[in-house]
Amino acid sequence: MPMTSFFQASALEPMQVDVVEENQNVEEEQNYLVENASIDLEHYASQFTGLARLNRLLFIAEHCNSLKVEALRMALNYTMKTTFNTTLYQLIHHKLEIATSGSRGGASSSGQNNLPDVASAINSVDTQWVEVTSKKAALKLEKLDTDLKNYKSNSIKESIRRGHDDLGDHYLDCGDLSNALKCYSRARDYCTSPKHVVNMCLNVIKVSVYLQNWSHVQSYVNKAEVTPDNNKEAYQSISSRLKCAAGLADLATRKYKSAAKYFLQVNFDYCDFPELLSPSNVATYGALCALATFDRKELQVNVISSSSFKQFLELEPQLRDIMSKFYESKYASCLTLLTEIKDNLLLDMYVAPHVNTLYTQIRNRALCQYFSPYLSADMRKMAEAFNTSVNALEDELMQLILDGQIKARIDSHNKILYAKDVDQRSTTFEKAILMGKEYQRRTKALILRSAVIKIQLHVKSPPREGMQVEMSIAPASASSVVRN
Amino acid sequence: MATALEQYVTMVQNLSASGNLTQLCDFINKSTDMLTKNASHLDNVFGTLDMQQTSLGVLGVLCVKYNLPLSNTSDIDTLLVQTTEFLSKCNGEQVRYATDSYAELCHKYAQTLIDRKMYSSGIAPLSQAIQKIQIHPAQLTSIHANLCQLCLLSKNLKPALRFLDIDITEISREGGRFDAKDYLLHYYYGGMIYTALKNYDRALYYFEVVVTTPSVAVSHIMMEAYKKFILVSLILHGKIINLPQYTSQVLKRYIRPLCQPYLDLASVYAQNNLADLRTTLTKHTEVFNRDNNMGLVKQCQTSMIKKNIQRLTKTFLTLSLTDMANRVQLSGPKEAENYVLHMIEDGEIFATINQKDGMVRFHDNPEKYSSPNMLLELDKEMQRCIQLDSKLREMDREITVNPQYVQKSTGSHEDDMPGTSTGPGKIQAY
Repeated sequence: MPMTSFFQASALEPMQVDVVEENQNVEEEQNYLVENASIDLEHYASQFTGLARLNRLLFIAEHCNSLKVEALRMALNYTMKTTFNTTLYQLIHHKLEIATSGSRGGASSSGQNNLPDVASAINSVDTQWVEVTSKKAALKLEKLDTDLKNYKSNSIKESIRRGHDDLGDHYLDCGDLSNALKCYSRARDYCTSPKHVVNMCLNVIKVSVYLQNWSHVQSYVNKAEVTPDNNKEAYQSISSRLKCAAGLADLATRKYKSAAKYFLQVNFDYCDFPELLSPSNVATYGALCALATFDRKELQVNVISSSSFKQFLELEPQLRDIMSKFYESKYASCLTLLTEIKDNLLLDMYVAPHVNTLYTQIRNRALCQYFSPYLSADMRKMAEAFNTSVNALEDELMQLILDGQIKARIDSHNKILYAKDVDQRSTTFEKAILMGKEYQRRTKALILRSAVIKIQLHVKSPPREGMQVEMSIAPASASSVVRN
Repeated sequence: MATALEQYVTMVQNLSASGNLTQLCDFINKSTDMLTKNASHLDNVFGTLDMQQTSLGVLGVLCVKYNLPLSNTSDIDTLLVQTTEFLSKCNGEQVRYATDSYAELCHKYAQTLIDRKMYSSGIAPLSQAIQKIQIHPAQLTSIHANLCQLCLLSKNLKPALRFLDIDITEISREGGRFDAKDYLLHYYYGGMIYTALKNYDRALYYFEVVVTTPSVAVSHIMMEAYKKFILVSLILHGKIINLPQYTSQVLKRYIRPLCQPYLDLASVYAQNNLADLRTTLTKHTEVFNRDNNMGLVKQCQTSMIKKNIQRLTKTFLTLSLTDMANRVQLSGPKEAENYVLHMIEDGEIFATINQKDGMVRFHDNPEKYSSPNMLLELDKEMQRCIQLDSKLREMDREITVNPQYVQKSTGSHEDDMPGTSTGPGKIQAY
């Protein structure tokens, strides 16, 4: 029975050095609480299986007080029912205890009605279950181990591969991710057909996602994609899964545009990957990334008129509205809708760290698009269209202009934004003169340097005394002049 | 005893007359001890020898005199007068045979002047001295540094410009005596002179030369230059400009950590926030004062305000002075107006102020690059580039016909290792 807890295992896996590094980018935005979430937990959780469901529930519990108890309880039940993961069970139970004691205190002051409900739900740790499960897990582990040894002594490749896979599945059930990853990867040497290779890749990808080791995910996606496969039906489903995983990895590593492209390629009919993503996740991630990074034409071609992605968007009607509002340039309502769903997005473990960045990018894109057809625009109307004050808009625009995203200038007196027409001829002259000066400077420095090298001049350790003393006096006495 | 001196005089006169100057140099070097012993009669020798005809002999005498422990002020005065006279009258052809003693004499002369705080009286003689000893105007001598120092100390900067404005293409070896210190000091002082004259572009170039000097040890001059380099770079460009690839590792590894307050300043500067800059400034005031860089640091502050105003011109067509004062964090519209006024006068921005409603209207650069003057300017720039290019070609040709280089590049690669510093590969790589 592996006794390392699930959380330790994910952080301290010795084989993957880069895990910690990648997580750091995300960590900075982890401390927040969401108040007004509107998630139907039952429905939400039912979209996922295995660790994905647990991780997501735990994430929600972490960041939303109102849903905390319910989420934890569901996670607890699910752990008991479907896994051998006793450490996680104890951990959740511990959290639940803290949460309920906290909410009980709050409930007694505000109202009595949910007190009995909560109190009845908390049993003490089911020690019997823990013991039995641990024993079962150990037995199964032993059996699988001996099986594997037998296969190995008989050296039947296919059986060894399957043995490794089974062992990996079992480790995964127990929550020992690093060992699961090892087992799945070991199966690689015994793959005999492309199908097996793809299968192995999918397993590794799954575990790597749980471990948040995104570079691993990407490399195995590539590996699986180059493996030839003849079976059309299976290919569709596998390729959809790979696209999901690749999109997720790109999202996590902040390559939003390529993430969007991957998500858009997922085939709705074959999007069945409950261990990782639900179809509505694909819709959300894809739509957000696309909004943030695609220009108008790309949006039209790849998203709005894409028949397969339309099916995804139907799952998330709000996002569909946002998408069409954005395309119809109704930015005010688009941005309001976005703000409405923000809280829910913050409870999604994969997109949450990126929500703010994506929102800013979407807003900036909207501002740029709004202005793009005009030669001059009234900032008061513009501010109205973006639900903001003229002054705030001015600051935003200033930033965009300085970043070079909008080529315009602000008439602050009349509150009008004018497109800037750049005189190509003058800029070219300016650039040329600058370049010429730079060339002269560099060349002079090089000629001087070659003279220096010619007489083999360089600063070396001085014969100790004398030199340094003189130096420190000289600059001091002389630099007084510069001050004037 | 006098006979030895008489012998010296005749020897010098004979050898000078016969033009056997190398031999004369040897003789003078050997006679140093004899001259030192006869110190009291050196003035007689000085009087006997003709400065134009026997410059080397006089040079030898003067060098010895500077090494004597002179306590009497009048003696020193005489010596200074004698040196000044010598420097103006000596024969350049002759003294070039003893560049080391000549440079030595000038160093001592300058040092004596500095000790006696008679800075300005040395400027003219040293300028002459440099011109006499140079083979061509683009040659750097170790005397350059002395001249710059005197100019700085006497706060009379213009005389040095005559030499600083010329781009150096060759360095005098001075019999192997030319030291990295002279080179560093010349460019360091030069940088300071240009900074004082507010020719920041050139100043930055000079400081860059100092900090990119090949080095294997930390030099204080380099460190001070790096500090000033940062400040001037901020004033001019608003950020620390990149140093070329060949910058010595010493700078990155040892000098940069020693200049932390300055790097702090630069990173704060990058955020364009005046208040933050002021805080950093106060935090490190002591360091800046100690390094005598406070004046430059204050200029950084002004330059940030100006940079911020310039940024506004990129984003705004019109802006009220009050708004501007808020955005640039100035005390009020009055101060903003003042800045804008000065910047318009200096040609740093193109704008008009409407005092009636307190609005500033920014314009584009009115330069259309079509006036005859502009074309002339362009033509000059192109000529300069072409000249530099031909200089490069010339240098390249010199190397390709250099027997040593030809031998090495055609010979086996094993002997290629040491001293290939003059190879063209180097030049192209940089």
